[in-house]
Amino acid sequence: MSVFKDYKKEIMDAAHNERISLALSRAIKSYRANTNQALKKFPHTIQMAEEVRQIKEKAIGEMEKLAQQACAAITENKGKAYIAKTADDARNIIDGLVGKGKLIVKGKSMTAEEIGLREHLEERGNEVYETDLGEFIIQKLGSRPMHILSPAIHVPKEDVAELFSKITGEKLPADIPTLVATARKLLREKYFKADIGMSGANVVAADTGTLFIIENEGNIRLATGAPPVHIALVGMEKLVPTLGDAYKVAEVTWRYANYTVPSYVSLISGPSKTGDIEKVTTYGAHGPADFHVVFMDAGRTSLAKNPILRQALYCLRCGGCLYECPVFAVTAGHFGDKYFAGIGAVWAAMLSEDVEKGAAVAYTCLTCGRCKIRCPMKIDTPEMIVELRRLIVGDGTQATPLS
Amino acid sequence: MSKGTKGLIPPGLAYIADNFTSKGNILGASKGSGAKWAKDLGLPKRSDTVFFAGCGYQYSAELEALSSLIRGMDKSRIGAESSMGIATFGKKLGVDFGGVYRRVAARGGGSDAQPLMDAVKVLGKLGVQFGYLAEDEPCCAGLLHYVGLEKEFSENAQRLYGKLKSLGVKRIIGIVPSCTYTLRNLIPHSVPGYDIEVKHFSEVVREKINSIELRFPREVKVVYHDPCQLGRYLGLTEEPRQILRAIKGIELVETEWTHGEWATCCGGGGGFEAVFPELSQILAVNRTRELLETGAKMIVTNCPGCILQLRAGLKELKVEDVEVLDLAQVIAMAM
Repeated sequence: MSVFKDYKKEIMDAAHNERISLALSRAIKSYRANTNQALKKFPHTIQMAEEVRQIKEKAIGEMEKLAQQACAAITENKGKAYIAKTADDARNIIDGLVGKGKLIVKGKSMTAEEIGLREHLEERGNEVYETDLGEFIIQKLGSRPMHILSPAIHVPKEDVAELFSKITGEKLPADIPTLVATARKLLREKYFKADIGMSGANVVAADTGTLFIIENEGNIRLATGAPPVHIALVGMEKLVPTLGDAYKVAEVTWRYANYTVPSYVSLISGPSKTGDIEKVTTYGAHGPADFHVVFMDAGRTSLAKNPILRQALYCLRCGGCLYECPVFAVTAGHFGDKYFAGIGAVWAAMLSEDVEKGAAVAYTCLTCGRCKIRCPMKIDTPEMIVELRRLIVGDGTQATPLS
Repeated sequence: MSKGTKGLIPPGLAYIADNFTSKGNILGASKGSGAKWAKDLGLPKRSDTVFFAGCGYQYSAELEALSSLIRGMDKSRIGAESSMGIATFGKKLGVDFGGVYRRVAARGGGSDAQPLMDAVKVLGKLGVQFGYLAEDEPCCAGLLHYVGLEKEFSENAQRLYGKLKSLGVKRIIGIVPSCTYTLRNLIPHSVPGYDIEVKHFSEVVREKINSIELRFPREVKVVYHDPCQLGRYLGLTEEPRQILRAIKGIELVETEWTHGEWATCCGGGGGFEAVFPELSQILAVNRTRELLETGAKMIVTNCPGCILQLRAGLKELKVEDVEVLDLAQVIAMAM
């Protein structure tokens, strides 16, 4: 029970931290207003979400097949693709590609977070820069993300100013544009000096091997475009059969992530190439000459076999549910593990195989069900939580389906 | 995931689950004490249609005593340090839970069971024929399902169905949202051929509300709080509002976004208050604040857990001119 004790202390400390509640109450208000507006402007999104749920339901049942198909497509595109059965396999494959002593620029990726990739690469003597502003702040604070899309959601501007002042050695004001400009300046040269750029992906089309990466800052365009090597780590649940399916997943994802449209969506299918001199295809024109994609299973295909818990794999990571969770509103990502709130308990127990942490998180869920109302995939988190608790208690009976 | 263990159930919930197995109700109150509120109401003990009172209101005084005790322990941090069950913990502190229950039970229902007495009165005035099983009323044990004790839940469901059938029950009018949901949606999955029709009080009242004139004794601005299990689980968001709108003197107002299916949980969901009592209270305050922003002077809901939470929220916020009432109480006052 000591895991529970530590965890309870952590979330109670968070619940007593008024800065967290304040930052989140503002974020929740603006999330709801932006999302309602985006959905009003593009009302077809709601029906498209239903279509995406069908696409995901089917795709989750055939992840292995889709991964093989995507690997074949990427190989045909002159990239290299790998299937990692476990988190260890994924780290080993990436170690083989990276080596040691490299400079790496990295886009935000929850899948990388899941396997502790940055820390792992750093331990092996690489210099890794998180380039997403929120993630950069988290990295420099030595903290961990508190929201899947806005990792530094709990850090007020005054704390960022103090942090950046320490890094630059000059006294910076708590002025947001100044802080953004500082991060830009600090990171700019790294993109062009880096040996390797790393990213995740929001969705992958198996037929063409195309990664869709949604972002607003432009850091991912630079990180996946400037260095000579691009390595992407992708959870196998991100695979869908076609380019058309992938587009629908992407649109629904950004709409429920409160954007009418994001500034950038990168579609990457292979290495940079040119045939402009005598029609001879040559790789590494302006972008990376080497393109590697690692598709990671790490418990996903086994989770897909549980008829109730497989819903966790339908998640688009839009983050909408988090804004509707009353516990998250006062604790932020302390209510969770690598992923947060109720659905985070499923990831902790089933994918990270940390049953004690998973249990602690599972019993923190109110099972109030508001997340399900928000979820574009209509993931029934209360139902998953009850199923998970049943598995944790281990009484071996079939759960009563809630719906 | 490796094989599970009951040791991973947080202490507060484990205590409640144990109570069910040893005492037949979630709070560990002595059997039959819950039925006292109805002893002078002259309700038949056998009927096709029964009013299902549930544990929440019948033991609300015990529940309140227990939760304030748990909260005290939690705040003192002793609870957080302890990995032992609350019952054991109570013993160590010299707290006699049984005694707490006996003292509140001695008060014999009183205002704690008012929503039940009012619900009975309202249904009677609307011409609904029904009985009340009193000490024969079984506990739905829904909490066992939420804790993850599916085997125990399922066994109880089968016993409960057998008992209700032997007593000739064909229809149930539920008042506690979670009992109603358990009886209507969960138990049928554990009991093949389950054929008892279950309706919630607000549905029954809604069907007949236009047959009588309702006027609240004074003009009052009311905000309705949707309990999670009534609104999102049972989908009954309109019925309570239609009833409130039918009462003259009541002006129904809504929170900006957090009403109906978007209502914020009071912080008492799924046994949460037994695991994280202090956090549960923070959430109660947050929800109470949202409701107060409407300027309402009365918060109406229909869940014993929500009522306790919201009253605790008002107390914490030192708001004295706003009251929390059950929908049944409001209708009874308007008759």
